[in-house]
This record gives sequence, C-alpha cells and structure tokens, in this order.
Amino acid sequence: MTDERAPAKGDLVGPATTSATARLKALALKSGATVVGVADAAAFDTHAPSKHRPADLLPGARTVVVVGGAQPRAGDWVATSPWLLSTMGTTERIQGVGRRIAQAIESELGYYALFVPPGTAAGDAPFLSLMLAAELAGLGTRSLAGPILNRDHGFMYWSAVVTTAPFDVDGPTTDAACPAPACRDMWEREHTTPCLRVCPLDAGGCLAGRLDDGHAVRTAYDAARCNTRVHTHWVGGFQKVLEETLNEPDRERRKMLVYGDFMTRTLWSITYSSTNIAQCFECMRACPAAHGLKEMR
Amino acid sequence: MATDGVVDAVKRVGLAAGARVVGVAAAAAFRAGVPEGFRPEDILPGARSVVVAGGDGPTAGAWRCPDHRVMEITGYDLRENVAIHAMCDYIERELGYYAVQAPSLPVHGHEPPMSMMHAAELAGLGTRSFAAHIILNPEYGLLYYAALITTLPLPADPPLAEPACPHPGCAAMYKRIGTTPCLRVCPACLSGTMKNARIETSTYDREKCHSRAQTYGIGSFQKALLAVVDEDDPARRRDMIHSDFFAKSVQSLGFFRDSIAQCFECMRVCPVGRKHRKLK
Repeated sequence: MTDERAPAKGDLVGPATTSATARLKALALKSGATVVGVADAAAFDTHAPSKHRPADLLPGARTVVVVGGAQPRAGDWVATSPWLLSTMGTTERIQGVGRRIAQAIESELGYYALFVPPGTAAGDAPFLSLMLAAELAGLGTRSLAGPILNRDHGFMYWSAVVTTAPFDVDGPTTDAACPAPACRDMWEREHTTPCLRVCPLDAGGCLAGRLDDGHAVRTAYDAARCNTRVHTHWVGGFQKVLEETLNEPDRERRKMLVYGDFMTRTLWSITYSSTNIAQCFECMRACPAAHGLKEMR
Repeated sequence: MATDGVVDAVKRVGLAAGARVVGVAAAAAFRAGVPEGFRPEDILPGARSVVVAGGDGPTAGAWRCPDHRVMEITGYDLRENVAIHAMCDYIERELGYYAVQAPSLPVHGHEPPMSMMHAAELAGLGTRSFAAHIILNPEYGLLYYAALITTLPLPADPPLAEPACPHPGCAAMYKRIGTTPCLRVCPACLSGTMKNARIETSTYDREKCHSRAQTYGIGSFQKALLAVVDEDDPARRRDMIHSDFFAKSVQSLGFFRDSIAQCFECMRVCPVGRKHRKLK
C-alpha cells in the first residue's frame, strides 16, 4: 500500500499496523462475524465504476474492512418447510457488526470509518458492491449462481466499512469454492450443475453457464426475473399489488386483494425487513459449496 | 435513595451496552415543565428516577462523505435503546425495582408520550440549540437519546450549568456578523438571536424542517400514496407507484434505522463535538 503523507504521531505504521489489524479482526469475530478480511481501497478502481469506489465515499480511503456471516444455519437449509427461509433472513446481524467495526476504528484508532449503507441511492445500484468487497478482501469468490461463496463457510451475508486506516491488506483468494467437486462430477456426467438445473434460464429460470476446465463460467443471468423471485414479498411486491388493487374496479375483488395473503405477507416483509430479506434460496439450497464444510448430525 | 455505587453500577451497564453517555434525572423534576399526562409517573406509577442514554449518530467518516445520499441511509446502531433495555434488565433483576423504557414515538401528530429531549436536558446530558432545538451534548454534539423510567430512587445529575449552544466560536461569529453557522446554513427553517453569548430567542419552522429532515418516511409515504390513489390515469398511476420516490418511501418504512433522516445541514456545520469528527 502506498501512502505519500508523512506519518504523524499516533499513525499506524509498521508493526503497529499489523497489531491494529489483528485487534480489529479479533473484535469483528467477537462481535459476531464468521469471517473478516481487509481489501485495498485502490483495488476497487479497476473493477468498480466511478462514484462507486471507496474514495468516492470517503476521501483518503485506504482500506475496506469486510465482515461476513449471519448466513442461514445448517438446520435452516435442511428444513422441509420452504416458508422457513423465506420468512427468516438474518442479514441484520452482520450489519450490526459492520457498524460496530466503524465505531471502533474511529473511537479507538482515530481514523475515519464509513459504514457502507446496505441500501441503494437509487434503483438497484449499491453505493459500494459488497460482493466485490468480499472478493477483494479474500473472503470468497463468485459462484455460478451469483453469490460470493466462502471456501469454508459457503454462502454468507456481507457488510463493509471504508476507512482511512492503513490496515494490512488481504489479497483476493484464488481458491474458489465454486464449482464444488460434486458439481464437477455432475458436469462430466450430465452437463449441468445443481444450481443450473434447479433454475435454468431456458426453462423459466434465472441462470445459465458451464464449466470450462473445471472453472465456473456464467454465460447469462436474468437479474430482473431473479429479483422478482428473491423479493416476492417486499417493496416491489407491495408496489405491484397496490397497482393491481387500484386498477381493480370491482369492490369485492379489491377487498380480497387488500386482505389477501400476498398483500399481507408483503406488509409483513416490509415491516420486518431485517428478518424477511428474501424468499427464494433455491440455487443456494441446491449448492453443495454453499453450506460450509462442517458435517452436522 | 440508592447510593452512588448503585447509580455508578447502573451507568456502567448502560455504557457497556453501547451508550456514549448516561445521566439520571429525578422523576419529580419533570413536573415543572411537562404537562400532566406526559410525566414519568403518568407512565409508571411510583416513578422516582429517569435514566437517559445518549448514543452515537453517524460516524465521522459518514459526515465526511461527499455523496449526500450516504448520510440519508447511513444506518445507525440505535444502541441507546439497547443500553436502556440492558439497564432496565439490571434494575429489575438485580435491584428489584420496576423499570420500563420511556415511550418516545409520537402518538398524536409530532407529540411523544414523553420527551427524550427534555429528559436529556434534565439528566444533565445536553442543552437545546439554535439548530431546531436539537439537544447538544457539550462533548459529543449530536447524540440520539432514549430513557428509562424506574421506581428506583437514584441520585440525579444536575442539568448543565453552561449551555452547549452557542459554542464560543458561534458566539464570536454572531458578534462579528450577526449569525451562526446553523442559522446561516438554514435560514429557511431556523431563526434566533443571541445576547451575552447566550441564546436569547430561538424558533424554527417545524413543518418545513420535518419535510426536509424526513423526505423519505411515513409522511412521504402518506403523501405519495394519496397522490397515487387520487390519480385516475392507470398509466400515470403505474409511473407513480414504481417511481424512485415511492420506492424509497416504502423502503424507509422497512429500513427505518437506516433511513432516519435525509437532511443534516444544521448539524454538519455545528462546531459542538466537532473534535470527535476530526480524525486521521
């Protein structure tokens, strides 16, 4: 990492940087993160568009601390009711860890820290891609299905903090979790993978891709379709059912729409947005790399 | 009356749970300035004390961000509420006195059952400012406040002898050019006068301030929904329903703690607590 400014008293330099990085990571893990890594802020420049890079959010940004965790538990994945995962998200917990890290960097180390807002400024574009941040911090790699998968823990939720602190940087990992060995075998046999089979683009699904020399190559992804399935009951669902209700001339049918399960579940999902974050997990449910390595009894 | 050791223990629980500051007011102190029905004993019979916790707002990094939209949805811990619950649990379980979180969300118009601003003042945590009367802590400036009401009699902290606002720099500026940073940055909402380096008069246009501070929230949802319902043309109605304004208004309902306010300009220029916003 290059820093042209001469160090001032109290600045992190040399061994102090390593020590501070270790303390910060320990705090993140103690606060509830499953994994933590640090990306070089400058590394985003070649991947992220202008206005969506760390220095666009925080002038002088040097590093991005990324925490991952709060993923569905092993029991959630094997539960037989589809309603369990579709009404029980857990992302809010990892965002709390991100906020805590930001406050600790400022109050304990004296460097600026900006918790990357999990929402969007407009449309679907995030302020800073948390997926890219996780990749650059060496915490995971992109999967054929889309989500970043951690080699040890699989599918996770992410939170990031942009900071002027010059923490020791973790480089991106080359050890990809996707494709899993079982998926390579399946590709050899059937020319598909669990995620591609469960949600094929050419049969009303969202995903298309292949394995080239054992590497996952995504060839197409229908983001709009995926969004309507992942967020069936959220802001978009509310907008849809509201429009349908207002367009309905029949009073009785309008009443049915307002009190119907769709409208009711949509309102629940909006008010409990932190615990009802997504309704479709099928590509991740089928993915052998998404559930981590630990065998459960 | 509980000993100083007990009040210190209660405060330690609050600080350990994430509060930046904790103070205590006597429940009886609310009688002088609060109408009947809105006092601690109207909420918890036999109330003796009110413990107030102040929590951090945006980080210094968030204040520094040149993209104003980040501050609009920056996300808060709202740890003051957690700290209040931790202290309530401690008082009930360890000390055996009733303790409830003081209700602070409006029940009629903008009116809460109990004022957190007044509670913070009486607990010695801050004083009202020129900037929309926001309570400023002399050390940290803008904080977010929550309170608990308890039957535990605790020694109270006195209200601050010296007001946090005006800051000496603002008093000097007023003397020079007859205004302060906050009054200058938002003459639409704020007005006031100073005498002998003290606030003499201070008023603000609450309706105007509210519509700016909460561009996206319950009010904007109600406004947008009414416009949608009143629109007869289905194509225009569709545009309105799927617009950014409507979508962000609905999002702000769900992600309230990530979208508390959209205007921070009077606080952005306020020097009180700024030392904590100047980092490396």
